[in-house]
Amino acid sequence: MRMILLVVPFLLSLFVAWARHRVVNRVALLGTGAIYLAVVTSWWCSWDLDLEPAWLAGYFTVDPLGLFFLTVMVLVFLGSAVYSLAYFQEQKLSPGREAAYIAVMLLFVLAMTGVLLANHLALLWVFVEATTLTSALLIYFERKKSSLEATWKYIFICSVGIALAFVGIIILSMGSQSIGSLFFADLYLRAGEINPFWLKMAFAFIIVGFGTKIGVAPMHAWLPDAHSEAPSPVSALLSGALLNSTFLGLLRVQEIMIRAQQQEFANFLLLLLGFLSLLISAAFMLNIVNYKRMLAYSSIENMGILFIGISLGKTGIYAALLHSVAHSLAKGALFLTSGNILHLYGSKQVADIRGLLQRDPPTGWIWLISLFAIAGLPPFPTFLSKFLLVQAFFTAGQGWLSAPFLLFLLLIIFGMGSAVVAMTFGAAPAQAPGKIPLNLFAYGPQIIMLLVLLAIGLQIPAPVQAMLKNAAGFFH
Amino acid sequence: MSAILIVLFGTTILYIFAASRIEAFIKTLALQGLLLFLLILIDLHEINWWNIALLGLETLVIKTIVIPYFLLAVIRRNEIGREVAPNVSQLYALQIASVIFTFGFIVAFWAARTGTVAQPLYFGISISVIIASLFLIVHRKRIITHILCYMMLENGIFLLSLSVANEMPLLINLGVLLDLFVGIYLFVIFFDLIHAMYDGNNIDVLTELKD
Repeated sequence: MRMILLVVPFLLSLFVAWARHRVVNRVALLGTGAIYLAVVTSWWCSWDLDLEPAWLAGYFTVDPLGLFFLTVMVLVFLGSAVYSLAYFQEQKLSPGREAAYIAVMLLFVLAMTGVLLANHLALLWVFVEATTLTSALLIYFERKKSSLEATWKYIFICSVGIALAFVGIIILSMGSQSIGSLFFADLYLRAGEINPFWLKMAFAFIIVGFGTKIGVAPMHAWLPDAHSEAPSPVSALLSGALLNSTFLGLLRVQEIMIRAQQQEFANFLLLLLGFLSLLISAAFMLNIVNYKRMLAYSSIENMGILFIGISLGKTGIYAALLHSVAHSLAKGALFLTSGNILHLYGSKQVADIRGLLQRDPPTGWIWLISLFAIAGLPPFPTFLSKFLLVQAFFTAGQGWLSAPFLLFLLLIIFGMGSAVVAMTFGAAPAQAPGKIPLNLFAYGPQIIMLLVLLAIGLQIPAPVQAMLKNAAGFFH
Repeated sequence: MSAILIVLFGTTILYIFAASRIEAFIKTLALQGLLLFLLILIDLHEINWWNIALLGLETLVIKTIVIPYFLLAVIRRNEIGREVAPNVSQLYALQIASVIFTFGFIVAFWAARTGTVAQPLYFGISISVIIASLFLIVHRKRIITHILCYMMLENGIFLLSLSVANEMPLLINLGVLLDLFVGIYLFVIFFDLIHAMYDGNNIDVLTELKD
């Protein structure tokens, strides 16, 4: 059924671009989401149809790690797709513009799926590149001066990053000439044969290259611009799904490092970039003026947390995976809600937003609860993941690092919390006339995302726990 | 013979660092494309003919003719002549280029000693071209120069992938893909958009988004 996930969005994208009809647009968008959900659910139930030819099946596989990230992507995509209906209504888009948005979004989802299913390092790289090309068009969708600037920075910085990752892949192939293959299965199995020197150099290039795309500091310059300028449902996908999919690419390379027993070098770089990301986020978060940029800096912080997690052994990897699902859903809810706020107030400035609870209580409550979800307040799973990370620091013999880790988290929560509280409470300014009221599509996805988070946080359901353990157990 | 071509490829860095005219930069990129084409003809024996044809098309047609032609058209249409005041003076930049070029030779010798790289000079010079491109991206201010530096980065990567092309032709084909999609399509389109919307081509105009 891998074939379905790769072919359906491609064909529907072409059909939508050709038909340019409102009903076709929406059926294609929601239909793709439903098909993805059905396929992922069937994989969860260990049920599959072998539709693809053998040569193709070798290039795309569904392992526990890939299925884990694919499930998260599908949840965020569904939320984003449903919210897009509210976005279309609010923006009063013509069927043609809607078709352009949906056609590119489907190609973007296809590219992310390719990254998650690729069983070949070079193929994974091609799909990462494809995510840049497709998402760039979505970031520029509103055709404003600021969105053009954001898109330019995004394409340029990420293209340089992707090019450097490619250098890493070439260097890896130089060091693994006896293996003669870039299939992950071969690289894992014969990791010990890779020349350690070339492997380390390759990892350094790949971590800088993929790290640029993941948005960790100091290669993060594009992220606050791109995530804040994209339409809100696209921002949710960028933050909740795209960052994760490239992160999976890095995880697969980290697995090669672990199997080649070069993890010390890898862990040092991961810790360095992780802490740098926390530092940069804390510095900007304390003086934040734009709430969409605030969410973007929070993404940098959380990607830093994931980097730190995977450098801390098995407990850290388990915590990082739990944190990635928690971050994706919470950030998805936050970005979608930021779309409501932008619609209600017409501004992205924190200073212009007051009395959210008074102006639109559902938006206010979702905004506030989503903050709790991202900040790590119990019972949300970010609490458990951060707690496990602190434990992992001690297990790895680096307990002293938990002090700066917690300090940075505290500063970030303080900065973000101050902005959110200031926006939520107090008296709302007079509303501009002629606003279309928000409909159920503008609240539903966030509420479901938060309910899923609560369910995971209160008692991790057995299948989710099994999947997390399977995914973490994937590491040697 | 291929060693001479690779060293010649490396020396183009010095010329690019010294030249302030954008047109000279573009013509040097075309020369790099031609050198890559000659290297393919001389060095690649073990890959099949259609792959050679594809690479020949990429280097001789795309890198040497099509991309330079488009870029020259863009700078003439937008009346772009020289690089605006760079972040580092030209003299210092040239000295830095010499250091990077020397570094390339050192890396080549040192790679030869590891014994795992078939053609160390490929590795050393391509790494120096990649580093030089990254330096120029930081050093220069014009948006068009950033595109040119990216093209140079791609040429450096192409040279690097040539060193493993006999063993892994797939990698070099992917390099071609990188050129085609990013190089031509998005950069030319978005450069024109920025020029039309901002009425300027200096990255200093792109400062609307900041904290």
